[in-house]
Amino acid sequence: MIAHTIFFYFFSFIAIFSALMVITSRSTINSVFFLILDFISIGCLFIMVGAEFLGMILLIVYVGAVAVLFLFVVMMLNVAQQKQSWFIGKKSTHIPSGLIVGVLIFLELLVVIGGWKYKEGIASSSSIIINKDISNTHQLGNVMYTDYILYFQLSGIILLLSMIGAIVLTYRKRENLKRQNYFTQISREKSSSIEIKKVEFDKGVKIDD
Amino acid sequence: MENINIILPEIFLFLGTCTALMVGVFFKNSYNIVIKFTYLILLFSIISIFLSSVETSEFFLMSFVRDPFADFFKSLILISCFFVLLTSQQFIKDQKILKFEYPIIILLSILGMFFMVSSNDLILFYLGLELQSLSLYVLAAIDRNNLRSSEAGIKYFVLSALSSGLLLYGCSLLYGFTGSTNFDLIQNELITKNTGAVFAMVFILVGLAFKVSAVPFHMWTPDVYEGSPTSITNFFAVVPKIAGIAVIIRFMGKPFDNILIEWQSIMIFLSIASMILGAVAAIGQNNIKRLMAYSSIGHIGYALAGISTGTVSGYSSTVIYITIYIVMNLGAFGCIYLMRKDGLYKEQISDLSGLSKKQPLLAVSFLIIFFSLAGIPPLGGFFAKFYVFMSVIESEMYALAIIGLLTTVISAFYYIRVIKIIYFDDAKNNFDENKNFNINLTVFLSCVILLGFLIYPSILNNTVQSLF
Repeated sequence: MIAHTIFFYFFSFIAIFSALMVITSRSTINSVFFLILDFISIGCLFIMVGAEFLGMILLIVYVGAVAVLFLFVVMMLNVAQQKQSWFIGKKSTHIPSGLIVGVLIFLELLVVIGGWKYKEGIASSSSIIINKDISNTHQLGNVMYTDYILYFQLSGIILLLSMIGAIVLTYRKRENLKRQNYFTQISREKSSSIEIKKVEFDKGVKIDD
Repeated sequence: MENINIILPEIFLFLGTCTALMVGVFFKNSYNIVIKFTYLILLFSIISIFLSSVETSEFFLMSFVRDPFADFFKSLILISCFFVLLTSQQFIKDQKILKFEYPIIILLSILGMFFMVSSNDLILFYLGLELQSLSLYVLAAIDRNNLRSSEAGIKYFVLSALSSGLLLYGCSLLYGFTGSTNFDLIQNELITKNTGAVFAMVFILVGLAFKVSAVPFHMWTPDVYEGSPTSITNFFAVVPKIAGIAVIIRFMGKPFDNILIEWQSIMIFLSIASMILGAVAAIGQNNIKRLMAYSSIGHIGYALAGISTGTVSGYSSTVIYITIYIVMNLGAFGCIYLMRKDGLYKEQISDLSGLSKKQPLLAVSFLIIFFSLAGIPPLGGFFAKFYVFMSVIESEMYALAIIGLLTTVISAFYYIRVIKIIYFDDAKNNFDENKNFNINLTVFLSCVILLGFLIYPSILNNTVQSLF
């Protein structure tokens, strides 16, 4: 049990520390790296509470795909120039107003959560039957393609639509593009591609008429 | 296999869309084939709704509900979408937006609306909403060579994504405080006092109000309506509003039924603010698409007034209102398509001046539709407003009724101003002679329905009464 506590504090400390570093570090690249560290430690916390599927998905999706994408974007941008105006330039005037709004919303949420009473048997009103003997991933697999097939398919349709949308908005049809056509290339014959002409003295031959 | 009847229209629509997509990809210059295919899909989807109509039943862990209410709204969505596509063909050809993806994205957004209308669960509702709004982002920016269209797309995307975030936050709060995503179970939970769920309700209501462009969440509407191509504006002004209103009625009637006191005041505020802004802000507009944007904000205000009563008669008056609103808007946009000179489309109101001398038929159509939008007595628009205010007065909300009547009078000013320009100003433009059968048919049908509603109001009334 004590090892569990030690690990919990270890990972939470790293998570909070790296989250702070994400917003305070000067170099954008460092920020992204701290973000990855943050994701990993949160993933470890998920695994510690027994949500191993969520933890792994966090690692695969956020670290494996999203953070790497961030890195690419950051490397494409000209960060060195922007950093100057962003951090060292004149102070942003949005901070006080943003801070006030943030604090107000936080206080409002406190009021709501302060009035929160845990209902008796909160899980019982859910329509899903939870079997505690089998693992998370197994349980998800049980319902994903049976009870939740509609949601699953609908998410698939959304992905299809986003693909169509991206193509519609970015694809440009280019004219005069010379594409390869293997069949015509291979089936060319000597007779159709070479023409022998007699060159007369001091006159030359006209090509491509 | 009997169960499949319940979800048959959705399955048919999706399979049809996939086939149309394949046809579009594998044929060259396939816009014309795909658009004809789309008409067929829309028609057969309506037929499949009527053929497979079943008693109220729930499906997929009670998350998908098929009832007369959903069937009515689905048919309304399909019919209005059919006419939107029909009228916009000439425009699309003139503006060279001949992309075969255009009808396919519209079909997918309709699929999303189907699931929104039929949802009995927060997850299904959100997935449907995302499918719908993702399609709308793409549609707003589809004319990507036009700077204004791209700007409209970006603006709509950023603001709508923010509102989706708020809505999702509300959904997660609601799940946290009630322990379920199912509408029936949430409704049962809310019998006892639950402050957190009220908080969640506010977030969800904000998200929904944004989708139907109710004040104060309307900022995107005029810019997006003006910037997008007219065919898309037509779609925006008609089809998503049906789904939005249906979902609001569903939410207020089912999960939030027991916290009527809490949402009623918010709904009244949304309604009054929309009516006032729709009436006042439209006065200074010179662009007819912007005018229609503010007009739609105002009309949504009247529709929300019916919902804010929280009674069955209020809900049914809103359904009647939105049906007539759609008929009027289809006709109005049909007339706007006819403001065409040498292949260019005019958008200024002043371009209409003296229209009555050159094209008396078009002028009369404008007259009927705009009088109906203003709510002048013998026309359909008057009855729509009449039913809403009747149910508002029945619920003894006199202040709302009085403000509504006052804003009707104010908004009549700018509708009648357009008519004055058409009939009494000097002739300026010669619009192209109009031989487009599709647009003529739509405008004619719209005018006939608006005029004939006086004689047979019971057809629509009885249908709507049987929904609840």
